[in-house]
Amino acid sequence: MFEKVLIANRGEIALRVARACRELGIKSVAVYSSADAESAVVRFADEAVHIGPPATGRSYLHIPNIIGAAQKTGADAIHPGYGFLSEDPYFAEICTDEGMTFIGPRPEVMERVGDKATARDLMSKAGLPLLPGTVDPVATVDEAQQIADEIGYPVIIKAVAGGGGRGMTVVYKREDLASDYRSTRATAQAVFKDSNVYIERYLEAPFHTEVQLVCDTFGNGVYFGERDCSVQRRHQKLIEEAPSVHLTPEMRKDIGEKAVAGATSIGYSGAGTMEFLLDHEGNLAFMEMNARIQVEHPVSEMITACDLIQEQIGVAAGEKLSVSQDDVVFKGHSIECRINAEDPDADFAPTAGRLETYVPPGGPWTRVDSHCYPGWMISPFYDSLIAKLIVWAPDRERAIDRMSRALDEFEISGRGVKTTIPFHQKILQNEQFRSGDVTTDFVEQFMAEERKALAAAG
Amino acid sequence: MSDSNMDLIRSVWEEARDLVKRLEGSTVRRFSVQAGETRIEIERTASGVAVAPAAAPAAAAAAAPATAEEAELDGRHPVVAPLVGTFYRAAQPGAKPFVEEGDVVDEGQTVAIVEAMKLMNQVKAEQGGRVAQIVCSDGDWVEFEQPLMYLEPVE
Repeated sequence: MFEKVLIANRGEIALRVARACRELGIKSVAVYSSADAESAVVRFADEAVHIGPPATGRSYLHIPNIIGAAQKTGADAIHPGYGFLSEDPYFAEICTDEGMTFIGPRPEVMERVGDKATARDLMSKAGLPLLPGTVDPVATVDEAQQIADEIGYPVIIKAVAGGGGRGMTVVYKREDLASDYRSTRATAQAVFKDSNVYIERYLEAPFHTEVQLVCDTFGNGVYFGERDCSVQRRHQKLIEEAPSVHLTPEMRKDIGEKAVAGATSIGYSGAGTMEFLLDHEGNLAFMEMNARIQVEHPVSEMITACDLIQEQIGVAAGEKLSVSQDDVVFKGHSIECRINAEDPDADFAPTAGRLETYVPPGGPWTRVDSHCYPGWMISPFYDSLIAKLIVWAPDRERAIDRMSRALDEFEISGRGVKTTIPFHQKILQNEQFRSGDVTTDFVEQFMAEERKALAAAG
Repeated sequence: MSDSNMDLIRSVWEEARDLVKRLEGSTVRRFSVQAGETRIEIERTASGVAVAPAAAPAAAAAAAPATAEEAELDGRHPVVAPLVGTFYRAAQPGAKPFVEEGDVVDEGQTVAIVEAMKLMNQVKAEQGGRVAQIVCSDGDWVEFEQPLMYLEPVE
């Protein structure tokens, strides 16, 4: 096992990783920008290194400073968290070159997974279901037209290097295809410096379903069930839950086994997530693979009683997975709400500011993953996540009631600070949400109805 | 809302605006004006940049490290590490150090090197002065903005 792990991240995930290290008896090193000098992880970790000014390009994304901090403190491994350098194969390679273990898949595997067209190709060969469409980049307008005609409209044009909802265009009509093809390529080139695009069938209102897995370096892989993340706004997830109410135990086993087979077929090691779209007929289609731990990993931990970060660190240290597939038993239902410093009434604009009150909820089966405390400054330099509120209950209905109770208890206030708590409360009371029939277009529709009701009330 | 309320708000606002003008360039952090139920609160950073959530990135430059501020109090000026790495006093092992304590340096003069991933980053004096104290030793690991040495004004 590692002696000392440097955490190349900030906020709640840095604290989450530091906690896992402490429980494993590993020393932890926090790195921080000038804006994060008073952060919770800086206090919690065994050591902390100041790596730069608030701007991420000169701190959390600045590879020489992070490597320097690891060398200074004698860390033998680097945990990248999520975001920042977590899916940068170049960073993973440098870590290895400098004699440190990058806690994640090998750089060449990460690179292949990061290229969406390559990932589709590899996973298709490994037997994962895909939406009708291309696996190779589409080179010409004529080719694009021909493919779209074959698979039928609507289609979606996606940048091979795209992500986070950017670099994709939905085409409903044949006459729009040529211009949309050209503009998506231009955007892809400008934003991702890679103009390659592929085309697939567009599902109007699918469920977002993702399978959590961890693979060790001995070729073993275990799936930890799936999460439903359909409550999202502009591809930003707001509420996640596990398990998905739309999967039967047979479907869960089938897609879980396929996901593990796909990951091990490319020599994947570490924690990873395979994203799928699920239609109303129960068909799952592979979308992409995320080669990192994800924000919403706690809901999977809650229903399996497994610490995914500890597993991730263990396999990176060359140990075997501590659990076999048979050990992973799914129990009950878990929900996570992302509490962001955003104003739901002002198009979710970030509301940075200092927290005057911060009283997290407690009680049974209520977990809060957060780096916040009274007096902490929600910085405008970074994401607006205040806390992840996670609950568990024997079934979904009781989990919703428990979440509602916990949200009520959560006290957060500060000059200029608004949170998404009221928005979550409204969604939890929504009949459609409670029924479980929630697809990725739910939030847009919900907000449109809210506006309509508000206008009607005058 | 009644007219007298509007008048009240207007007069409070005028009072506040006057205060803002008079506090220009001061280090006031925040003040509030209250008249009845109406209250206006304004918060300012040390550099006089208004803290509004949307405008907050502009306040970035105002975040100076405490150590540098403290040093400036006694008239000394710290030379800080521009990045994380290894501190070296000379261009190569065995070479003459860039500066010794007591030397007078010019603005822009190289006073040390911080090596990060085999890249030698020259550290330059931001202003001229006499080297009062060198606080790091050759080969020390240094953090971002860690003081390396202090300069004092030359009379």
